[in-house]
Formats: sequence, structure tokens, C-alpha cells
Amino acid sequence: MLGAAGRRVLGLGLGKGAPGAVTATAARGYHERVVDHYENPRNVGSFDKNDPSVGTGLVGAPACGDVMKLQIKVDDDTGKIVDACFKTFGCGSAIASSSVATEWVKGKHMEEVLSIKNTEIAKHLSLPPVKLHCSMLAEDAIKAAVKDYKAKNGKATGKAETVQTDKASTA
Amino acid sequence: MRTRKIYSLFLMLRSSVEELFYEKPAKQGLRFFATGLILGNSHFHSLSPSDFSLCNRAYSVLVRDFVLCGGSQHGLQETKALDRSFYSSGTCGGELPKCWNCGGTAPTSIPFLACESCGSVQPRNLSIDFFSIFGLERSYDIKDDNLEGKYKDWQKKLHPDLVHSKSEKEKMFAAEQSALVIDAYQTLRKPLLRAIYLLKLRGKHVDEEKTITDPDMLAEMLEMREAVDEANDSPTLKKIMAEVEENFETYSRSFSQAFKSGDFDDAIASIERMRYYDRALEEIRKKL
Repeated sequence: MLGAAGRRVLGLGLGKGAPGAVTATAARGYHERVVDHYENPRNVGSFDKNDPSVGTGLVGAPACGDVMKLQIKVDDDTGKIVDACFKTFGCGSAIASSSVATEWVKGKHMEEVLSIKNTEIAKHLSLPPVKLHCSMLAEDAIKAAVKDYKAKNGKATGKAETVQTDKASTA
Repeated sequence: MRTRKIYSLFLMLRSSVEELFYEKPAKQGLRFFATGLILGNSHFHSLSPSDFSLCNRAYSVLVRDFVLCGGSQHGLQETKALDRSFYSSGTCGGELPKCWNCGGTAPTSIPFLACESCGSVQPRNLSIDFFSIFGLERSYDIKDDNLEGKYKDWQKKLHPDLVHSKSEKEKMFAAEQSALVIDAYQTLRKPLLRAIYLLKLRGKHVDEEKTITDPDMLAEMLEMREAVDEANDSPTLKKIMAEVEENFETYSRSFSQAFKSGDFDDAIASIERMRYYDRALEEIRKKL
């Protein structure tokens, strides 16, 4: 959509932001950080979704058929996220966005991570405009995970009954 | 560029009018709404007043027919009438275009991509839709098996390599028309792309970048993609493929139903599912 001229104006483009040698991947337009997350994925995995200290965020982008699952493990006393993992089926930008999200939420309070913006993730990965929605998906996944944890632990108002039935069904 | 903008304006007008058809409003309200839409849309501020009147003329045709037929039962007929007037020349006047080379008039029954009399390739006309290129109704359940044959026939007339003309202008036309026919062929032969295109013709855009959170559907899709990911031998992959293809067919039928009955929300939901299944099938084919 953006012409080459437009891309130059925004400072995005082939190989920009990759201070090292020009590689085949730079020619394709993927920033080296995206490639890094794709080739050396961190925090890929799964927590037990029935574990009460786990919050699971499951989101999708129907435009491309992407699915993203982001899970957080919360310390119930402090409300801090002690661990996070993800599983994403989608393009390199989507995978990298969720990988970055899991790195950024670790060690932070669950209220704090709600203010992580997709634009920050996109900037960190130098995502082109056409891939901005991948970072949005990651932001939504973080919020969904926190919401799920709160719902499971009766922290949101009126969710006490849901928690009871959850526990009853997993018993 | 101007023709393209007028056509976009027209498409927008038509889609909003169509939406209103289903809600049966008063004719007067229809006109005010459409006018407000045009004036309010900043995209079209660069168009001259004469361009607006061009579309206003088309719009009055629409309203007149709407009045004559007495209501929204015939809603779709009216939009078809408007399509015909816009069909050949990209203007709202309804005149048939003429060949730039020999002056021959365009035929009414087939799209005017190349002149039948002298063989000259014509400039690309943005108002021609993919279905008309293959002589098909704008329907999802196209039973035409000869898509490939027709595609090859068109390319014999349009492909730049086969166009014997020496002029740069005609070679450019040939490149554009050939690309159009390729787009049309690739879109119509795949059910998912055909479905999306059909909705696009009705002004409904499916490819919005939104996030969905439906837990059951996403859990199903996640499980499906994980299964594909973990399967490494051909029999397992083929088994999964058969299941996914069946699911795709189910929602393909569901789309067909929804589209016919004008339930666009349901149609879009079906397409979303079809897209997920299609992605999985893509991954399976890569592994096989």
C-alpha cells in the first residue's frame, strides 16, 4: 500500500535499523529483531490453563487466520507476573510480537502490563505499517491474559460464581 | 484517476443505499443520507462539482426505479440497473465505449477488453467485475468448470507477448488487461477468495484488522494448528487434511446460504472460519 517513497519518508525500509551487514533477510524487509525472535524463540510453551495462578489470553486475527495464545503466571500475593509463555500461529511479525510481549511482562505487576501499547512493540521490532495489527494482537493478548487471571481469582466484580464453577468442574 | 475516484464514490453510494434497502427507509431519507455521506467524506474533496453531479445523476436513476417498483423487494434489481449504466464506460451516462483504433462500438454482452473487429486491446475499465469477464453471474456457487479454458482464451487475445501491435500504448493496455484477467481467474477459482470478492462487490470489506476473542472457536483453531504442527508423517497429515477440508466445506455451504439470504454478518463469520481452515490446509500442503 505504501509506495517506496512513502516508506522512505517514514524511515522504514529495506535494511533500515539493521546496523550490521546487509543480509538476505534485510533485503526481504524483516528487521533483524524480528528474525531473531523467529529463529531464537523465547518463552514458547504452555502452562496448565487450569492452574489458578495462570492467566490465559487467546486471541485471533481473522484477516490472516492467526491465533495467538499468551499465558502469564502471577504471584497471587504481590500481583506480579513471575513467568510468561506464548504459542502463536501466524507470520514472523506476529510470532515476534508475542515473543516480545512475554519478555516485557515478566517481572511487572499485572496492572502495569495493561499499559503496554502495540506501538511500542511495533517500534521495537520496526514493524512496517502493514504489520501493525500483529503488534495489536499481542497487546490484546496481554490484556486477555490479565483479564482471565482476574476472572479466575474473583478479582473482577461478580466473578465469584464463575470461579466456584471452574473449581467444581476441574475437581 | 478521476474515473477511479468517481467509481469509488459510486461504490460507496451503492453500498450505503443497499444497506438502507434492507432497512426500508423513506426515499427522502435515502437521498439526504447519501448526499451527506458524499460531502462528509474527505477522500472526495478533490473532485469537482461536475463529478458530484455525475453521480447524482446515477443516484436519481436509482431513486426513480426504487419509486417505480414501490419498495425494497426489488432492491437488488435497482442496483443492477445502476451497474449496467456504469458498466462499459465508467461514466454514469450509459453510452457504450468505442474502440480507440477502429471506432467500433463495444458489444453489450461481453466485457470490452479487446475489440472484436480489429483485435486492438482496449484500456482497462475499472467498472468491469471479475464475474463478467468469465460470463458468470455474481454468485458463489458457480458451476462453471471451464474457467481455465476461458482464461486461456482471453490471454490469447490480451497477453502482451501475443499482441502483434507495435504501439507502446497498446502494449500497456495489453499488460493491464492481461493482469486483470489473471486477477479475475485467481480470485474466482478459489472459493475463499471468491467469497471475499463477492462481499467486496456488495461494499462489505472482510479484511478488517480486528481481534477476535471467541474462546471456543479460537481453541478449536489452536488445537487444529497444533495438530498440524506436531504431525510429521503423511498418513496423519492426510487424515487431518480430510477433517479440515470437511470443516471448510461446511462453512462454505454456510456462506452460500448466508450470502443468498443477505445475512452479511453471518457471511463474514463463515468467511473468517474458512480462512482459518484454509491457513491450516496451506500448512499441511507445505509439509506433505
